[in-house]
Order: sequence, then C-alpha cells, then structure tokens
Amino acid sequence: MIGRIALNAFVALVAAFLVLPIVAVVPGAFSAQSFIRLPPETWSLRWWNTFFADPSWRRTLISSLQVAMLTTFVSATAGTAAALGIARCGPRVQTVLTGIFLGPIVTPVIVMAVALYAMALSTGLVGTMTALVAAHTMMALPYVVLNVGVSLSGLDRRLLLAAAGLGADPVRVFQTVTLPLIAPGVIGGSVFAFVTSFDEVVLSIFLAGPAAKTLPVRIWEEIRVEYTPVVAVAASVMLVLALMAAIGSRFAARKLSP
Amino acid sequence: MSAVRFQAIAKSFGPVQALLPVDLEIAQGEFLTLLGPSGSGKTTLLNICAGYLEPTSGHLFVGERDITGLPPRHRNMGMVFQNYALFPHMSVAENIAYGLQVRRFASEDIRRRVAGALQMVRLDGLGDRAIRQLSGGQQQRVALARALVIEPDILLMDEPLGALDRQLRKEVQLEIRRLHVSQRRTTIYVTHDQEEALVMSDRIAVMRAGRIVQLGSAVDLYERPVDTFVAKFIGESNLLAGIVVSLADGRACLTVSGIDQPLAGTAAPGVFAGSPAAALLRPEAIYNRAGGLKAKVLERVYLGEIVAVRLSLAGGHELWSRRLAGEFSASDIVEIGWDANVVSILPNASDEPQLGGTNAE
Repeated sequence: MIGRIALNAFVALVAAFLVLPIVAVVPGAFSAQSFIRLPPETWSLRWWNTFFADPSWRRTLISSLQVAMLTTFVSATAGTAAALGIARCGPRVQTVLTGIFLGPIVTPVIVMAVALYAMALSTGLVGTMTALVAAHTMMALPYVVLNVGVSLSGLDRRLLLAAAGLGADPVRVFQTVTLPLIAPGVIGGSVFAFVTSFDEVVLSIFLAGPAAKTLPVRIWEEIRVEYTPVVAVAASVMLVLALMAAIGSRFAARKLSP
Repeated sequence: MSAVRFQAIAKSFGPVQALLPVDLEIAQGEFLTLLGPSGSGKTTLLNICAGYLEPTSGHLFVGERDITGLPPRHRNMGMVFQNYALFPHMSVAENIAYGLQVRRFASEDIRRRVAGALQMVRLDGLGDRAIRQLSGGQQQRVALARALVIEPDILLMDEPLGALDRQLRKEVQLEIRRLHVSQRRTTIYVTHDQEEALVMSDRIAVMRAGRIVQLGSAVDLYERPVDTFVAKFIGESNLLAGIVVSLADGRACLTVSGIDQPLAGTAAPGVFAGSPAAALLRPEAIYNRAGGLKAKVLERVYLGEIVAVRLSLAGGHELWSRRLAGEFSASDIVEIGWDANVVSILPNASDEPQLGGTNAE
C-alpha cells in the first residue's frame, strides 16, 4: 500500500518535472506588468492585445503556419511514397535506405544549418519560404518515413493480393486498401512533421529573412532585445496550436483505425 | 475441354526448386484437391494459378487461352486465403461488394448480389457487422462469399479451414461441398488434411517434394496407392517393409523379417522381384483368426464407435487394428489374420532430394 502511494507520488513528480516548466509560461502571458514574473501580481489580457494587434507578430504567426502546413504536405506525400518504396526492397537495402532517411534526425542541427545556409546562398534562396519549407521538410521527412514504415510493417500483404485477385488495379488497391490501413501512420507522421516545422528555430534563424520569418525566430529575436510577456503570449499560442494538432490527429486516427 | 491446364509448370526460388515441371488438367466443374505436406509445392501451384507467382517455365491455360503472364486482376478467379485476408476496415457487406465495385456493377445490382451471397453462406443480416466482430467460422464464410460473388471462372482455396476448430471444420467442409454440388464451379483446393480432401474432392493430386505423386479419386488413392508415401498420407495404414521374393500376374510375395510366411498381395507398378518394398495393411482389414499370426497387444484405444488396438509382431513390427473383437488388455497374445486380397505390395517412396536440399549448385 505504502509502496503504491510512493510509486504514484514519484510518477506525479516525474510528470510535473516534464510538464510544469512548459505550462508555467501560460500564466506569464496574462501579466499586466511589462516583465514576466510567476505568478503575475496583476492579471490582464494586455499582452494578448499587443500580440494580435502588431502586424509583425501576426505576419510571423501566419508564415509559421504556412511553412508548417507546406512542410507537412510535402513531407507526408514524399515520406509516404518513400516508406512504400523502402517496404518493397530487400532487407539489406531497407537497412541502408532507412539509415539514409533517418540521417537528418541524427545529424547535429547546427551542422545542417551551416550546410543549408551555404546551399541557399549559392542558389539565392536565403530568406525565402521555399528555403524554409525545403529545410523543414528534411527535418520532418524522417518522422513520416518512420511512422508510415511501422504501419506498413503491420500491413498484411495478402490483403493487397486479395484486392488484386478481386480485379483491382494497383492504383485502386492503393486507394481502397493500402492507404486506409496505413492512414494512422500517415497522420501520426504528419503531426510530427507539422510540429517539427512549427517549432524549428535553428535552421530558420539561418534561412529566414524579413520576407519569411517564423514565429520561433521572432521570439528568439524578441527576447534578445527585451523579455516582455508578449513572448509568453507567442509561446502560449504555439503551445495551443501544437496541442490541437496532436489531439486532432488522435481523433482522426481513432476514427480511421479498423 | 479442360477448364484449367498446367503445362510443364515449374517454379524455382533462387536455387531452390519449389515445383518440378507439373502437368495437370482440371475438368469444367471439377473439385480438385492438392494434398501434401508443407513444402510439397501445393500452395506454390495454387499461387501460380491465381497469378500471384510467375512460373519459372511452363504455361497455364484457362480453356484455350494461355494466361501464363496475365496479372491476377484480369484472371477472374476467386481466392479464399488461409487466414481469409478480409479487409479489416470494411464491413462484411463492403468486403463482399469489393469485387463487384471494381467491376463497376450498378449499386442496386451490387446490393442484390451481396444480399444473395450473404444468404448463400448463411450470414443473412450480418452485412453491417465489422469483420472483427465475427467468429472464425463466420469470417471464413465471408471470404467464401467474397470469392464467389464475382462469379469466378475458377475458385481457389488455400487451406481455408486451417484456422477453425475440428467441429466447425467438419461443418464448413460439408457446406463447401454443398455449394460445390449446387454451383459446379471449377475448384482447386489446397490442404494438408487428408480427411478434408477425401470428403470434398472429385479428384485428389497428392504432392510431395514439388511434384504430383498420384492423381486420382479418393477411392483410387485409398485402395491403390502408388507408393508408401501416398499410403501413409491417405487414411490409416500399417506398412511392413521387406523384400519381394516373387512377382507374377500382378501379385507379389514379400518376405518380412521375423514373420515366417511371406505376405502375398496385389503388386503396385514399380515393384520388382528382389527389390525392397512394403506391404500395406489397412487397420480395418485386420481381425481375429484362430491359428493366425501371433501378436502381442501393446495398447487399446477407445475411439467411440470402434476400438483401435496397437499390436506388436515378432521381428518388432507394429500394427494397428480396428477390427479386433473381444476383451483383452495390454500384453495379451491374440491371433490375427487378414484377407490376402486386401494386401497391397508397394514400392518405397523414392528418397528424392528434399526441397532446398542438395540440388543447390
């Protein structure tokens, strides 16, 4: 009995350690003062007004969403195709290809940033949304390949044979059998892709220009100048959007899973 | 004209010969079973017929048409898979409708045919169920309905009853038989279960190590097996190994070590004087005969309608009998006999290189 209480208490402590620092930013956003103090002495929505009234904050939020959605679309499509292709290879080729596709996850981000910056400079893409989407896709693609790969490994190949035997051509087999059955993996991978892009900051600092500045980059710039609660508001906005993406995907996956 | 004809169909997987050139014709409306142990090539042959595997050599004909290279979707065959391969994300009715939707039937027509198919396999009213809500036997029927509703030229079944318990297996066997009798659809059925083969088939092809060892009706295989392998595979059998001492007019005599009298029986082709062979004695042919061969009772097994007795003969041979009358217990000595015309003298199954064995160069 005591053991169980102790265990539960320990679990609660670990959970608090993981979650509290993140949640703590939210009350900071409702401060009435010009600096972040926890808990705030007086409460107000003042900084939320500041955030949404300021065109530069709004613009970065919108371009963050644009970049994240484009990244999600590109990496979900390309990653699913890649996972399908990898699944058709022999075991040795699979190991090699999976290693290559997971490369961006294990490469230090700063190394990637330097490399991509050089590439973007020579192609004149620095400061464009194209560069951001391409860079974020590199970071996001592995998660889609991994998630879809797991779904595919659980897919009974005989279902595809059965569909073909019933007269379906390969496109139809994919639409009616493969895709619905790997949809949970595609959705899971897409959420990872979205979140990866949405909070990516290192590559974005290198590649973003005035024309395509994302929210995390703006937050980074802001706190180097002054540490006002508007940063906490921006952080809270990001937190809510990321949570929504995660929760929405759970619902979608549950609805789709057989 | 045959419905399906395999012409020297062979298949290798890398260096492994899964199927030696096989010739086989299946008549229109026939129920043919490919029977054999695992690795005998029976599923390979079925998958070649369905188009899931391409043969290394040979040709496959449906009617007069060579369909060797035709993809599965153009073959109009209905396949029932071992674990059914039902689409888990579709309802029962959607599973059955799949082949019809692919064929662009009108939705009203699809509804009618699906309802008919459900009725045919006695699943009326379960069309809206999810697959995972069905029992194994019901899933099996859905798989059968899905394969039959497209009115395939040929129905293919790959160990469809393997996952069912014994009682259910018997029921579904009879149901498949009933459907076959009413529809007379050309069927190729794969199993390793000889009872299934005997109950359902018009003809049975016994396969071993990538080739058809014997092709015939259940009666042919049971009464005239070509060698010891088929004899062991079909029905219960006692085989006494020995040497052929005489052969004349289709009758052979076999000396068996430890037994004074040579055993006389009908000689199968491939039995030669002076060569090793085996005498086949079915358990139901062995009965009590005063003054007959002396045998020691090893065990007595009660099987309900009959009692099976395991006997030991001089020379260490063991026999099962299913016709011994009287009360006796282990170690009793009984005197047994059999009619000479029920004995078959069979060649030993040749010890061909097993699949994946020595022919790997």
